[in-house]
Amino acid sequence: MKKRVLAIFLVMCGLMMVVAVVFADLKKGYYRPAELGSLRQTALIELSPDSNYQVSAYPVPGADLVPGDGRQEVQTYCNTCHSPIYVTMQPPLPAATWEAEVNKMNKAYGAAIPEDTTQKIIRYLQAHYTVENRTP
Amino acid sequence: MSVADRSFSRRGIFKALGVMTGGITLGRWLGSSAVAAQEPVQTKAIETFTGPGANPHWNSVGPYVAEPQKVPLILLTDRPVQLETPRHYFRTAFTPNEAFYVRWHLEGIPNTVDLKDWKLQIEGNVNNPLALSLPELMQKFKPVSLAAVNQCSGNSRSRLQPRVPGGQWGNGAMGNAMWTGVRLRALLEVAGVKSDSLQVQFQGLENGQGPKGLGSNLFLKSLDLGNPVLDECIVAYLMNGEPLPMLNGFPVRLVVPGYFATYWTKSLTWIRVLNSPDENFWMKTAYRIPDTPRGNTNPEDMKAGKVKTVPIERLPVRSFLIWPDGTSKIPAGMNIRLQGIAFSGFGRVNRVEVSEDGGKTWLPAELGEDHGPYSFRTWGMSWTAKSQGRHTLAVRATDEKGIVQPDEPVWNAGGYLWNMIERQEIVVGKAS
Ligand code: HEC
Repeated sequence: MKKRVLAIFLVMCGLMMVVAVVFADLKKGYYRPAELGSLRQTALIELSPDSNYQVSAYPVPGADLVPGDGRQEVQTYCNTCHSPIYVTMQPPLPAATWEAEVNKMNKAYGAAIPEDTTQKIIRYLQAHYTVENRTP
Repeated sequence: MSVADRSFSRRGIFKALGVMTGGITLGRWLGSSAVAAQEPVQTKAIETFTGPGANPHWNSVGPYVAEPQKVPLILLTDRPVQLETPRHYFRTAFTPNEAFYVRWHLEGIPNTVDLKDWKLQIEGNVNNPLALSLPELMQKFKPVSLAAVNQCSGNSRSRLQPRVPGGQWGNGAMGNAMWTGVRLRALLEVAGVKSDSLQVQFQGLENGQGPKGLGSNLFLKSLDLGNPVLDECIVAYLMNGEPLPMLNGFPVRLVVPGYFATYWTKSLTWIRVLNSPDENFWMKTAYRIPDTPRGNTNPEDMKAGKVKTVPIERLPVRSFLIWPDGTSKIPAGMNIRLQGIAFSGFGRVNRVEVSEDGGKTWLPAELGEDHGPYSFRTWGMSWTAKSQGRHTLAVRATDEKGIVQPDEPVWNAGGYLWNMIERQEIVVGKAS
């Protein structure tokens, strides 16, 4: 029994020496598959020597809103003055803050969203974007 | 050693053997393949949001985005455009234009400006309204240059506890440039401000989808005519000696040295003299701070309506460690150079100090070239990572008014004026 353990131990020592050399190799040359094009360079726009100073259209990657009842309304009504990324950029906020934010859009900024839709949007935001329920 | 222990250790040995043989096979296979099946260290993307705690990162957590005339910057919002400058661009006193942060409020921002039609209008309560072309601005008025920091009022908003809604900036909503243009006072003089005038209002090419008369339709800012900062304001057509990027306000923007960027109107096109106070949303409701020391208050007092507010103005003193940034280990015993920047809207920064012991003792850093009172001032300090372990460095600045950067947080509903002492953990590894 003891001999067997010893034998295994010796074999292992030998192996470890071999492995040490091989593992040294493993420490470099690692690459991983990745998608190209997540951040493409933009092509230059054609410049002409006239009085027009122009840049290309600003990219809108779009906001990844959580699926759920009310999402469609957010995509429609919260997309006129700014993109819904204004929602996803926020940290998890208390339910009352979401209500206040939507009311601010209606009152201070004149969003004029119909009352039932307003309530639906508030419920959606409170169901997915608070401390209790926001998911990565 | 008990029987159970022994059989466990034997199993352990077999397991180890298994892993090692696997390692050898993988190693061989690797020799002929460029892509490994596994990684030595798992790479993963940063989280998509932070909170309810403070954002623990130096910058905000958004993805990089390639916008016109810009290097990849950190996306906050796409429409309108808000982009943050990554930390490493602050190694120099002047922030490159292509890396300079971007902050618009309303979605109607220019893609095209035709200089054949564009005129800077000076109108309202004046004797001779003016409409000046870019060549007239460049040739009829003496050009002046000034280095000044442009910092968003909400820079570092993601540090506040509790968190507040708004742009969730890390520390990169700031930049320093050499601005060249025309003195605002020179323009007002030619236009002839009438004696009953109170304020001067600024409007750029930006406009929104909201109804007329509301903040969602126009972004308007005003300054009192008696405010001494007007003597230092520049209508700038050059930024670091280059035309302004479209996203930073081509063809001209207002420069208000020492003041937060909310007043630095981009694509400035209308300068309007008023004889009554500006009561538009962006003056009366937004960009206001509690009238308290450091603009500090708390959610309870705010809710109780106890807090009187005033328009935000000058940048409180701040300093940053830019490198080392915590992305790499430093070998123990290696002498490295800490590098950073500091600024204040109240006057020159004349002292920067570093603490290794959580603020008990402070060591002076060397200050870089003085580019004027409103510029970033670089600082550096040679530092030896003495022992292996986790070290925390704190940095603080003092300005010429004697104001020392505080070590207490700040809270207000707008998420403005954050200037608490910054800390950076540095992992020092064994060197042998
Ligand atoms: C009538 C125009 C308009 C509509 C419609 C609108 N917003 Fe806004 N919203 C604004 C403006 C203007 C801002 C300020 C933009 C800025 O400062 O960058 C804003 C800012 C925000 C912010 C950032 C926090 C703040 O208070 O500044 C959030 C969150 C937000 N909106 C959510 C919404 C949601 C949710 C909806 C749909 C219910 C919505 N908005 C619809 C105009 C609008």
